[in-house]
Amino acid sequence: MKENVASTVVFILLLFLNTNLLNGQSPPGKPEIFKCRSPEKETFTCWWKPGADGGLPTNYTLTYHKEGETFTHECPDYKTSGPNSCYFNKKHTSIWTIYIITVNATNQMGSSSSDPRYVDVTYIVEPDPPVNLTLELKQPEDRKPYLWIKWFPPTLVDVRSGWLTLQYEIRLKPEKAAEWETHFAGQQTQFKILSLYPGQKYLVQVHCKPDHGFWSEWSPESSIPIPNDFSMTDATVWIFVAVLSAVICLIMVWAVALKGYSMVTCILPPVPGPKIKGFDTHLLEGKSEELLSALGCQDFPPTSDCEDLLVEFLEVDDSGDQQLVPAHSKEHPGQSVKPTHSDPDSDSGRGSCDSPSLLSEKCDEPRANPSKFHTPEGLEKAEKPETNVTQPQGPQSTSVEGKIPSFHASGSQSSTWPLLQPPSLHYSRSSYHSVAEVRKLGLGTAGAASTLLDKTDTRALKPSQTIETGGEGKAAEHRESESFRSKTDQDAARLLPQDKTPLTSAKPLEYVEIHKVSKDGALALLPKQNENSSRAEKTSTPETSKEYSKVSRVMDSDILVLVQDRRAQNLAPFEEPAKEAPPSLPQNPAAVDLASFPVAPSNCRLQLGGLDYLHPTGFMHPFQ
Amino acid sequence: MDNKGSSQKGSLLLLLLLVSNLLLCKSVASLPICPSGAVNCQVSLRDLFDRAVILSHYIHNLSSEMFNEFDKRYAQGRGFITKAINSCHTSSLSTPEDKEQAQQVHHEVLLSMILGVLRSWNDPLYHLVTEVRGMQEAPDAILSRAIEIEEQNKRLLEGMEKIVGQVHPGVKENEVYSVWSGLPSLQMADEDTRLFAFYNLLHCLRRDSHKIDSYLKLLKCRIVYDSNC
Repeated sequence: MKENVASTVVFILLLFLNTNLLNGQSPPGKPEIFKCRSPEKETFTCWWKPGADGGLPTNYTLTYHKEGETFTHECPDYKTSGPNSCYFNKKHTSIWTIYIITVNATNQMGSSSSDPRYVDVTYIVEPDPPVNLTLELKQPEDRKPYLWIKWFPPTLVDVRSGWLTLQYEIRLKPEKAAEWETHFAGQQTQFKILSLYPGQKYLVQVHCKPDHGFWSEWSPESSIPIPNDFSMTDATVWIFVAVLSAVICLIMVWAVALKGYSMVTCILPPVPGPKIKGFDTHLLEGKSEELLSALGCQDFPPTSDCEDLLVEFLEVDDSGDQQLVPAHSKEHPGQSVKPTHSDPDSDSGRGSCDSPSLLSEKCDEPRANPSKFHTPEGLEKAEKPETNVTQPQGPQSTSVEGKIPSFHASGSQSSTWPLLQPPSLHYSRSSYHSVAEVRKLGLGTAGAASTLLDKTDTRALKPSQTIETGGEGKAAEHRESESFRSKTDQDAARLLPQDKTPLTSAKPLEYVEIHKVSKDGALALLPKQNENSSRAEKTSTPETSKEYSKVSRVMDSDILVLVQDRRAQNLAPFEEPAKEAPPSLPQNPAAVDLASFPVAPSNCRLQLGGLDYLHPTGFMHPFQ
Repeated sequence: MDNKGSSQKGSLLLLLLLVSNLLLCKSVASLPICPSGAVNCQVSLRDLFDRAVILSHYIHNLSSEMFNEFDKRYAQGRGFITKAINSCHTSSLSTPEDKEQAQQVHHEVLLSMILGVLRSWNDPLYHLVTEVRGMQEAPDAILSRAIEIEEQNKRLLEGMEKIVGQVHPGVKENEVYSVWSGLPSLQMADEDTRLFAFYNLLHCLRRDSHKIDSYLKLLKCRIVYDSNC
């Protein structure tokens, strides 16, 4: 029986519960107090979150009791702070006291209570945002313009009595910027901004924090447009930029100074010059025309038109006159050199117009007077490597001023002897009887070329001299040139080849090809590679003609030491110093005779590697 | 010669130390207001109050940090807060509970209340330092702050006594303070009890330091700035 009753009751209860569940109604869910906050440490509010309401209207009540009290109070104000809130006004608020607060949810089905929340107002202070945020652009006359931001503390907070001490923070940004610029303002209620971008609209916000509480929310945005002409230039930025660029410039200058050359070569690599074996590119520094003319070639590379242009022949006259006749082209009759007579004065300075000159323009073209010889310069330069091999060619080249290409044998002595001869030349009678004659010839040619010498200092003549003496040397040279000129006129007369008369003589003329100038200045002469050489061999007799075809050395820069060429003849080498003698040359063949030099015609081209310059110093020595 | 050089160096070093100490001692109230013994030393009330407020503010910050540190480390899930109700030894001292009450109290009374609370904490602070040192895994954050609070509390007491001497001179004061009897709890063998004792102590310290700070700031604005801070 009892069991039946019990089970019936249970059954009914379950039925009831089921019907309730089927209806969806249930006691309310547990609410939760999620936030309590005091805006001024005088009042506070708590908000709760209701749980599931169970489908029925639910009533919420908040109850609390305070630390040290036993009775429970109910929330004095459910309205002020909005729904699901309880507002404790000043009367109901005690500081430094713990409140134990509970929310009860009640509906038809039942009720539920939240967990108690322990609240001490001391630690939940969070003020309202500051109010009355004002922005003002100030532009004082003698100072920089700035933005003046002002605000007031939140209305509820009592700062005047010191109950709360607030600290403020502002933030601003241009309207379109992404990041805020924040500034701490301390306890003051105004702030000045000095750096602004003109032409933009700025947004400003401020918030505050009590001395032992939480930061408030940000105030609503205030905006202010900055006019375009607002000069807000920050001098420090410009100073920094200027200093930085100055530093960078200094670093670059320093780097360039240190590594200027390597940098320049890195950026602008030097154009490699043509490398022709035995040919110095420095020689090309002058005008190409001059160069080519000096070489005696009409065009470069030389064509077959020019023949025998590059080889100077020292025509040795085996006749008694022992004259120096220039290996001169028949086609240069206009030369002032007139072979009017064969002067027994063997040092008449007769020589080829181009003769020991390296720069004569010989090939096919009548050239100017011997007075315009380039040869002496060539001679000068030829001699230069002999005496001063290691010295820079600077003064010489500079003195020439590019008018005359500066040949120099850099290192090797295998420069060409650019004396050009047309192949049809008969190098008849010219013979260099003596060194003096050669010298005179050289001098003559030098004097002849005085106009060209005009601007060449003695530097060119004597590279060992300093530049300071150049002026003087120039004057001296002028004088020398004058004297040379006078002599040239004389000698020129003798310089022309004596056309046929020497040929008729029993002794053929023999031409020597200057093979090379050795380091110590010895001229090595090659016999002409034709019948002349044989002729030279045949006709060489010691007493009539000592054939000194080999210059062994140059002494004192003006003395040619000649030896007999072993190849040319079988005579014992006979060394005779060539004296620096005045015009009269000894007829003694044993002395200062220049042996017959077999001359080999050559083509008008640069003969490389075998021909050297004859140092003209001996020739160029002042005649007086 | 060596001696001379070394003595010179020593004196230079001493001078350097002295200067650095003087510079460093610009920090919180480490420089005495008036050297003891000086008769006519008069520091203005404003300076006294400023210094006192700085100290009280600093002490409360330290207490708050100390409590939070302890709560995070030892008191999680133990429900200590439920037990720490009405358990501060200074509650016997009747102190104003809100702003209105505080504003109604005369400043001399308020000053004496402050002094009473400060004196009540001398003993507990001393034992707190001792007992925290003895805690297993003595957390340095708590220990260092306890030491600092004890030190600063003494200074604040001195400053307050000077303020009282200026604001309310000549009155013989009743030295009223609360006696703390929580030491046995701190030394309990039971860890839970002991930890709660610490918790309670730190909780009460945080509250009382805040109280002192609030009263002092009120007094400062009232006395020095004439309620117009």
